[in-house]
Amino acid sequence: MMSRTFKTALAVLGATLLAATASAQDTIKIGVTQPLTGAFAASGTYVMQGAKIAEEQINKAGGVLGKKIQLIVEDNKSNPTEAVSTAEKLIVREKVPVMLGAWSSTLTLAVMPKLEEYKVPMLVETSSSGKITTSGNPYVFRISPTSEMEARAFTPLVKSLGIKKADFLATNNDFGLGASKEFSEMLKRENVQIGTMEVMDPKATDFSAQLAKIKASGSDTLFVTTAVEQITLILKQAKDQQVTARIITTGGSNSPDQLIQQAGDAANGSSHLVFFTPWFPEAVKNPDIARTFVALWNEKKHHVGGLTEGFRGWDGIYTIVEGIKAAGKAEPEAIQKALWGVKVKGINGDIAFIKQGPAGRESAQNVPSVYLVKIDSGKVIRQ
Amino acid sequence: MRGKIPNMDQLLQHILNALILGGTYALLGIGLTLIFGIMRVVNFAHGELYAFGAYMMYLWVMVLGANFYLALPLAVLLGVMLGAAMELVLLRRLRGADIDTTMLVMIGAWITLQNVEQMTWSGVAKSINTPFPSSPLVLGSVSLSWNRLFVFVVALALIGATYAVINRTKLGKAMRATFQDRDTAALMGVDINWIHTATFALGSGLAAAAGALLGPVFVVVPTMGDLASLKAFAIVILGGLGSIPGATIGGFILAFMEELGAGYVSSGYRDAMGFLLIIVILLVKPTGLFAQKERIG
Amino acid sequence: MKQGLTIAWLLFLASVPLWLNNLYVLHVLIMAGIFIIAAMSLNLLLGYTGQLSLGHVAFFGIGAYASSLASLGFAVHLLPDWQVSVDPKPVWFSMLCGTLIAGLCGWAIGRLSFKVRGAYFVIVTVSFAEVIRLVALNWVELTQGPMALNNIPYLRLGIPGLFELSFLRKPANYYLVLAVGVICYVVIRRLVHSRAGRAMIALRENEPLAASVGVDVTRYLVLATIVSAGMAGAAGALYAHYVRIVDPDVFLFIYTVTMVIMVVTGGKGTLAGPIVGGAIFGLLPETLRALEAPPEVQWVTYGVLMVLVVYFLPDGIVPALRNWWHGRSAVAAAPAPEQASTEAAR
Repeated sequence: MMSRTFKTALAVLGATLLAATASAQDTIKIGVTQPLTGAFAASGTYVMQGAKIAEEQINKAGGVLGKKIQLIVEDNKSNPTEAVSTAEKLIVREKVPVMLGAWSSTLTLAVMPKLEEYKVPMLVETSSSGKITTSGNPYVFRISPTSEMEARAFTPLVKSLGIKKADFLATNNDFGLGASKEFSEMLKRENVQIGTMEVMDPKATDFSAQLAKIKASGSDTLFVTTAVEQITLILKQAKDQQVTARIITTGGSNSPDQLIQQAGDAANGSSHLVFFTPWFPEAVKNPDIARTFVALWNEKKHHVGGLTEGFRGWDGIYTIVEGIKAAGKAEPEAIQKALWGVKVKGINGDIAFIKQGPAGRESAQNVPSVYLVKIDSGKVIRQ
Repeated sequence: MRGKIPNMDQLLQHILNALILGGTYALLGIGLTLIFGIMRVVNFAHGELYAFGAYMMYLWVMVLGANFYLALPLAVLLGVMLGAAMELVLLRRLRGADIDTTMLVMIGAWITLQNVEQMTWSGVAKSINTPFPSSPLVLGSVSLSWNRLFVFVVALALIGATYAVINRTKLGKAMRATFQDRDTAALMGVDINWIHTATFALGSGLAAAAGALLGPVFVVVPTMGDLASLKAFAIVILGGLGSIPGATIGGFILAFMEELGAGYVSSGYRDAMGFLLIIVILLVKPTGLFAQKERIG
Repeated sequence: MKQGLTIAWLLFLASVPLWLNNLYVLHVLIMAGIFIIAAMSLNLLLGYTGQLSLGHVAFFGIGAYASSLASLGFAVHLLPDWQVSVDPKPVWFSMLCGTLIAGLCGWAIGRLSFKVRGAYFVIVTVSFAEVIRLVALNWVELTQGPMALNNIPYLRLGIPGLFELSFLRKPANYYLVLAVGVICYVVIRRLVHSRAGRAMIALRENEPLAASVGVDVTRYLVLATIVSAGMAGAAGALYAHYVRIVDPDVFLFIYTVTMVIMVVTGGKGTLAGPIVGGAIFGLLPETLRALEAPPEVQWVTYGVLMVLVVYFLPDGIVPALRNWWHGRSAVAAAPAPEQASTEAAR
């Protein structure tokens, strides 16, 4: 009995290993680590769905280097230690030559030492912390903007929005704290007074105490940096407590459509920094690609609120595949070299990499477009 | 430099928030303390009944499109039924086993329930629509949402109903008798099996009610029960294991400590308040503030 | 005969990296080994003194954090104008610090918690672990909070200029975990066979009786907690320098539960129990993965198994196997009136 179970387990193990080696020959694997459960589950799922759409389109068009691509998706559970273990699994067990990940800055920063250890490049699609591209890791290729880029893009709006005093409410991690730091420094340079700077646990759901404090500070603007789940709750609870400050969310994981759907009235009057504007595709640099993506997304019946997040998956996979094509082979070091030279027409705009970080060990950073939109009477408008 | 008036407003708002939160905390605490007091079971799965209540609310309102006010009692009823089933299947055969054994079984139930929830509903947070007006109720300088007010009123009503059941009904009398002395109660003709099932079902129903009420206020996620369990423990320890008035007052004390702690100390340590409370209480007055009997060991 | 079996097992375990050329499986074995050490340490409390401590992960996490922080160095402001800074220390020294600090916390928490028993004890231990998790989450200056401690150095041993052993690669880490595991096993074995060990078991069997014949209850319970916490801390330190990242989720209650399941399933109060339980639950997730089950299935299996073990194998696998074995040999030879609970005492 005992030995039969053992034999079955061995057989299963063997079969899996065989299957793994067999499929390695006719496809090119791309590892994807995203938060599919936990605090960032919704956002990570959208990115994964966007990446899957890109996979399908690329394979329909014949794949790359005569082979089909195959995404191997691992759930990093919104947890940095799990993120490391997904990287380990993808690289050691699945032997992927390149990865896409890992959504939040904390997750990406956690994975980065593994990239160096195994010399595998990763395309970073969402993370915004400056540290990612300045710490001297040459295996990092980021297409999303840093908080500093976002703050810089926002500078001209400080005057036109008439911001005099601002509060901050950010999630207590690299993503939130980084954004609070860059935006508050930028605002100080613009002579804006800074009120209270509050933090919250990424898993928290009740912000009544923080909002009571923010209300008492009497600022005209509240900058919020976190994922869409928490933004929804903050908008609702701010309305309940009659916080009158204008709410501006940064980081691009704010999904205005989802906010309108789930926060209702409470979303009206809030502004959001986004990196893709599916409501007016003509505003982006490559409107045709944007329209194609929106059409495919809707065809799949994915959540309409996921478009502003899902496009990252598409842009990421297309950039990676361009890198594989330029490398001419699916090997980590060749792809890492080739990615430096790619020029991709993406949904956010044209993707190409500039050098950041210490000389000789530079990381790659794209200069993406940033848009500010506003929710007005349940509709997203340009601002 | 802030004026005196805004600071006062902030304090008032904190007090209001704490009062509202305290009602649901008390519900959670009463359910747990009932189960412990009568059955001597430390119910680690308590928070899962809370999450279950919230998910049933989501199922009825958002998936099946039922009326909000109808969905609430349905969710609670389902919680009662799940509780009764758990008692019959898991706990009945362990009657008389030591407290560690039942605790291990309840931990097993907790892990199983939580992950079945995760498989059924995925890890993505769900929100539940409410029929309440979206503009808040304004009381001078402070305000609160109609939804939270509703939660508070229903929670108080349920607490009142629980008191009535315990103090005014035959079932309640039998429960109190079992609590005081199980063997004598059995000799006097109390059906202990029935009392245990009823107690576990009632306690579970209260936890499910707390979840069904708070689900629409916040969001529904599979792991929401963990913190609820731990907070319920804090409340029960504070009030004394087995004491219903203790759990009621303990719920409000915990809510005040959290809200004021988050407002004036650090919002990050909000959830730590309960545990600090447990540790301090157990070191200073291990029986809790309101325990009727010495219950150590 | 028994000694020979132990040595054969050790030789087999030591040979694994030589013939196993699958790094991923080796990784799984290393992680299982670390958890087995933690489970062995919990067994000392749960199995030998009979105290169900559900805050055990606190010591594992404290060991991991203390060791990582010592090896990375840190600077914190304890008061606005009073800063404490620590330069990075060698990893072997840091790991020792992690073990000792976890032991010290065991002493402090033990002194406080053993004022209460039963349900109160369980809840107070859960609370301690949770408070420590929240401190790790919010004391960002020291612990980096949810951003995790990153780039933790790996262990290097050697004499400068002469030779150096580096524990970056998996086989080296495997041997390290195996060595620490063997040391912990020997320590626990000696402890439970000593006078102190007999006192602990007496406490488990009947605390009032033991106290009445002069056993200093708190002293032995605290002693057990210190040793147990120190070992859990050592396991945490191994974890930190192998995985090379530590975040506040190491304090999650679910890890305590994992350790408890390992001990209870294997057989609490037996030396081999946590090892058998740890091997089963350490390798089970990967077996389920191979069957392409979603990750929740792993936890559902844990939960259901936990309930089933309580019902059908209340003493755990090792005592059950031993009884079965004795039952069989009893037929052939003289009856062996051995009880699982007294087995370890001899």
